[in-house]
Amino acid sequence: MNPRYAWARQLTAFGVLLAAWEAAGRAHLLNPMYAPSPSQIGATLVELFGSGRIWTHLEATFTAALAGLALGIVAGGLLGVIGTLVPLVAELLEPVMTLLNAIPRVILAPLFVVWLGIGIASKVALSFILVAVLLFFTVAGGIRQVDRKLVERVVTLSGGRWALVRHVYLPSVAASVMASLKVAVGFAFTGAVVGEFVAASRGLGYLLSFAQSTYNSALMLALVVLIMVVVLVIFAVAGRLERHLLRWN
Amino acid sequence: MLEGASIVVEEGQFVSLVGPSGSGKSSLLRAVIGLQKPLKGTVACEVALSDVGFLFQDDALLPWNTARDNVALGLTLRGKARREALEHADLWLERVGLGGFGGRFPRHLSGGQRKRVALAQVLVRQPKLLLMDEPFASLDAIVRARVVQDVAALVERERITVLLVTHDLEEAISLSDRIYLLSRGPRAHVTHEYRTALPRPRDPVRARTHEGFAPLYEKIWTDLSHEIDDIQ
Repeated sequence: MNPRYAWARQLTAFGVLLAAWEAAGRAHLLNPMYAPSPSQIGATLVELFGSGRIWTHLEATFTAALAGLALGIVAGGLLGVIGTLVPLVAELLEPVMTLLNAIPRVILAPLFVVWLGIGIASKVALSFILVAVLLFFTVAGGIRQVDRKLVERVVTLSGGRWALVRHVYLPSVAASVMASLKVAVGFAFTGAVVGEFVAASRGLGYLLSFAQSTYNSALMLALVVLIMVVVLVIFAVAGRLERHLLRWN
Repeated sequence: MLEGASIVVEEGQFVSLVGPSGSGKSSLLRAVIGLQKPLKGTVACEVALSDVGFLFQDDALLPWNTARDNVALGLTLRGKARREALEHADLWLERVGLGGFGGRFPRHLSGGQRKRVALAQVLVRQPKLLLMDEPFASLDAIVRARVVQDVAALVERERITVLLVTHDLEEAISLSDRIYLLSRGPRAHVTHEYRTALPRPRDPVRARTHEGFAPLYEKIWTDLSHEIDDIQ
């Protein structure tokens, strides 16, 4: 088997599966209530975009996810920096972060709804907490892993504190952050969608919970497909950014 | 650890420190540049720290900078404008035989090439004193011979004073004017001092065939063997 054509085989297998699924649906072998056929899922997607009612939900989810991502990167990063520079902060912060890291953080969703209401704030908060904890460990670890030899090299070239930050610490930490950016993006969307699923009036998660309460499997699967496409597109963008910024690696 | 070492490096000289592992040779170099503090005693350096170059055993180039940017860093950290620094960097990459490699990242250079970039990064600052801590140890024999030749030529041309730490007797003799032999740790000290009478300018590869080379090698080797045998 030529590994170059793996994608062709994968695509063929996927096509065959879809065709079999479609055929089984048309032959009334599958209950559309549980397993709507691919064409029904496709039709639902077309209807969502055609009627335009999807946009407000997409907007809500994207806003919450991206806001949580940005805030989480900044706050988690800053805490990571402070946590490695100030021993007292490190001492107090480490156990909290370790605990937050150990639990599935989405269990905080109901609490955020109670505290912040069913509006976008509770979704941003969930997204934020998922990303911030990840970034804290990424940045703290990145700083600890900085190569001592590079530090000494810059010092012997008469580089001061600022030169060390700029030429050694920042690029070194940026590399760690880039490497976990994809995971962070995934976390941000998880936070937004789960938050909406718990309680909301807009968003893909809200639509998902609505579909569930009306036993609308076609809508649920359509949303799953939509979310997969969205995340894949963002992964592709993040991947390109990563390849560009880490081209030295 | 090194104890009771009185080592004098005069201007324009090439001085080597030779000795077994653990004699504190590296610590001494690091103390000169201030990376480490001597427990007792002083290191008097008449040259300003910014005029001291340090070539490490590892090339320790910034992996995210191109060869050119790595060399230019030697100047920009000293406050030179970036454009001017890059011009000097190109000039020095040319001098170490790497013209045309400036755009490469360290990962895409061979060990010998990386060593040359590190050398350019130090020499672009036109140091008065160059400290080298086993800089050639990681290179394979042939590349090493070529790099050592080029270092010797550049150092002679730029009239740089050098203090070299090495395990390699041949390297020390073929390059130096003066050699200090250190005893083995933990209470290491200088046991012998030699002057090489090989002519300058010197080609370190061909110096090995000079008539003064073999007797000095024999002498230092005997002293070094005694030093090691005494302790064992």
